Amino acid sequence: MQQETAKPLEPSPDRARLETLLAGVAQGDREALADLYAAAKGAVHAMALGILKNAQDAQDVTQDVFVRIWDAAGTYRPQGSPMAWMLTIARNMALMRLRQAGRTRPMEDADWDTLPAPGLSPEERMALRAALSSLTDAERQIVLLHAASGLKHREIGQLLDLPLATVLSKYHRAMKKLRAQLEGDDA
Amino acid sequence: MTDEELELRLKNAVEHTAPDDLDAILARCGTGKGNVIDMKETAKKRKHWTKGLVAACLAALLIVGGGGGLFYQQAYAVASVISLDVNPSIELTVNKSEKVLSCKGLNEEGITVLADMGGGADLKGAKLDVAVNAIVGALVRNGYLDNLDSAILISVEDSDADRGARLQQELVASVDGVLQTAENSASVLSQSVAADKALDSRAQQNNISTGKAYLVDQIVAMNGALDFNALAALSVEELRDLIQIGAPDMPIGQDAALEAVLDYAGLGRDQVPYYDVDPELDEPTPYYDVELVIDGREQDYGVHAFTGEVLQGVKTPSVMNPGPALPQADTPALTEAEAAAIALADAGVAGDTPALSKQDWDDGALHWDVEFRDETSEYDYEIDAATGAILSSQKEALPMAATQAPASGGDIGEDAALAAALDHAGLTQDQVSRLKCQKDFDDGRTEYEVEFKSGGYEYEYTIDAATGAILDHERDFDD
Repeated sequence: MQQETAKPLEPSPDRARLETLLAGVAQGDREALADLYAAAKGAVHAMALGILKNAQDAQDVTQDVFVRIWDAAGTYRPQGSPMAWMLTIARNMALMRLRQAGRTRPMEDADWDTLPAPGLSPEERMALRAALSSLTDAERQIVLLHAASGLKHREIGQLLDLPLATVLSKYHRAMKKLRAQLEGDDA
Repeated sequence: MTDEELELRLKNAVEHTAPDDLDAILARCGTGKGNVIDMKETAKKRKHWTKGLVAACLAALLIVGGGGGLFYQQAYAVASVISLDVNPSIELTVNKSEKVLSCKGLNEEGITVLADMGGGADLKGAKLDVAVNAIVGALVRNGYLDNLDSAILISVEDSDADRGARLQQELVASVDGVLQTAENSASVLSQSVAADKALDSRAQQNNISTGKAYLVDQIVAMNGALDFNALAALSVEELRDLIQIGAPDMPIGQDAALEAVLDYAGLGRDQVPYYDVDPELDEPTPYYDVELVIDGREQDYGVHAFTGEVLQGVKTPSVMNPGPALPQADTPALTEAEAAAIALADAGVAGDTPALSKQDWDDGALHWDVEFRDETSEYDYEIDAATGAILSSQKEALPMAATQAPASGGDIGEDAALAAALDHAGLTQDQVSRLKCQKDFDDGRTEYEVEFKSGGYEYEYTIDAATGAILDHERDFDD
């Protein structure tokens, strides 16, 4: 398989900055919403993707979530975690969509081919496909959130209402599964 | 590949597949801050509302106009007026070549929907079907029309009855095509209407289209006690439902339904980060389904559509279905025994009946899957692991043969079941740990569930107790 240089993961968007942006959004500042979107859309999309297993559906929900954040930013209380607050909204909206749709819509080849995702490399696509297709619901949500939101395992546990030990064991199990599948594919 | 490398790949994949549609979001955030009522999501298909009383009422509106036509030779002369109504009301005028002369939002929501099309100006000169497709696409993107009961009304006003009818037909087909592509479930209603200055004026006063005014007028004709202006404020979905149920009374409207629930729950609107109001006026008890999300928990209320009374236990089964319940924060998860006790009690089966329970994570919620049987039936329960709520229950009568004790010759015995599993895995008993073998009854059949661990893997087998056949097997990483 191709070697890839490991880069340090970027730190999660700074909590104080997110709080400042949320305060701006609460005041109706559209530039603040634009900055917040740039900073948090990956994490929100990861939450939606983890629940819905379909990138197109997750894109729709991600857009809805930021509209909801625009409406609800005034209710955010600064003593909390701004990222967790936004991800709670994302989780609720994705779950509602899932409930109303009745089931997830697994992605077929054609869905991947038509997905608007400029810059998605074949390796990234393969990794994401593996995560969407071969992990359990909880494993997928934990792995995607950990990769994309910058939240710690403990915070993910609080968000998903799972004990830390469960989050850790599922995370490691999921990573093993993904590695086995990807390295098997590459071999 | 290290964990860090794999995570980086996933992180990049998520970011590259995340949407890049800030403009669309900003367009949706233009107005109505803090006061958004969503009409979202779809579960069942209900295309083309073309039957029953509604269709009859719409057909009754088909009025063949006469006169006019003086200015048709001129490219800028209005040949047809087309309106699209959901909650947003949008009106287009077209010339005889079906090119758009003007497009405007008639109410605030209509203006918002057109925000990313220059307020409608960008559509000027476009072919009518292209413009309508663009508008319907914007409606869908803005969250209208994907509610399972939502409805769009297309009205065509044209003094040339034939052309009006053809346009109506083409637009319905075109809109339906867009909605199908969007996997949408909204109903498409359509009508041809005749110019009526009095109705135009009433429509203008209420910021609705003449087409929607026709629909309102029809309801007033059914029940003269209802107020035109109040009805004009309702969505097309509510109006359609009202016609269907014979317009017995005036619905309180979505805003009032939300306020009723907030009063009932003792909450201010700013305490509820997410809510959703869905009219269900065509149910036996007409009501508004109001969903609030408070502290990460979803709460569902019904509000009587005419009295505003908050209902309890009047919801339809589909509404009662809790779906993926959100795990309750700070509540310890149920133990296996507690989950089994809830299921046994509900089934009215002796509390000491052996039950097979396993945890499962489905649709985003953790639950216990509890199975047991008594002399005549097999039961399957799903119990919410956080709240103890019964998410689903199933009772299935056992076939006569299965209700009798298995004949001695029909049971290979635990040792043979174990041997069959080990043989399949290519392992011997001294190579495995955590060995479990349990007799179970499923699908009216006696089975052995065999589990063990070896070499970093977990193995699970289901063996037919009568034949020793391997019915199911799974090998998975042992964490």
